[in-house]
Amino acid sequence: MTTVTPVLGRRLKLSGLLVGLGLIVEALTLFWPHPTAFLVFLFVGALLVAAGVLLYLFAIVTDPAVPVPPES
Amino acid sequence: MQLATAGFVALVLVTIALISLLVLRPSLVAARGGRILGFLCLFILPLLATGLGTAAQVEHSKSTRFCLSCHVMEPYGRSLLVDDPSYVPARHFQNNRVPRDEACFTCHTNYTLFGDYKAKLRGLRHVYVNYIGTIPKQIKLYEPYNNRECLHCHAGARSFEESELHQPIRDDLARNMTSCLECHDKIHDVHGLANVKLWKEGKP
Repeated sequence: MTTVTPVLGRRLKLSGLLVGLGLIVEALTLFWPHPTAFLVFLFVGALLVAAGVLLYLFAIVTDPAVPVPPES
Repeated sequence: MQLATAGFVALVLVTIALISLLVLRPSLVAARGGRILGFLCLFILPLLATGLGTAAQVEHSKSTRFCLSCHVMEPYGRSLLVDDPSYVPARHFQNNRVPRDEACFTCHTNYTLFGDYKAKLRGLRHVYVNYIGTIPKQIKLYEPYNNRECLHCHAGARSFEESELHQPIRDDLARNMTSCLECHDKIHDVHGLANVKLWKEGKP
């Protein structure tokens, strides 16, 4: 069993916000039938999602798992 | 709503719900199930949703509304409403020989975001030119119109195959040696739109 360090918690929250925001932007562009919507989808929505995913991967790779001290 | 769009929206809603759970309670990832949840909603589902979203965007770019949303394409949209059967696109559009909501794409199937990577790059270039570059005064196709697009529907059709005018050149048409547009030469003709009557649906 491990516990979540504050740094990992913060990074997961930020990653979740970036991915969530990116997905909302992507979803909104689908209701706008204009070529600009495709660019916003690609260069705003998809980039936010990519940033969130990369931050998540960075967070789990660099975070040292902290074992929970055994209960006595 | 198209299938890709509906699937994308559903996936986005599920992903956001799961992400909210993780953002509100990051301690969940301490357990094995929480780590799987994190991997699912911060890696697998966002990538899947973005892939589906891209497919939905490409599907949207087939629509007539999408093509005509650029100011420079407006006259081409108006040319579909010319009240003169000698205008080939107008005749096809008004008689439902092409689906009206995908009229442009049906005849220009290898255009912009469709076709090969060159077509996709051209599509992005069109957007660039529309906002930043200089729009050419005369808009023309990158390559001569291919008979393949006409024969896709007309080949095998009785009116086409039994036509006395088509029969002697049938093979040439199939091999693209003679263009359909040599005889059917009234296409969009956007420069002559000021002097033509436009068809209003529902008003004979």
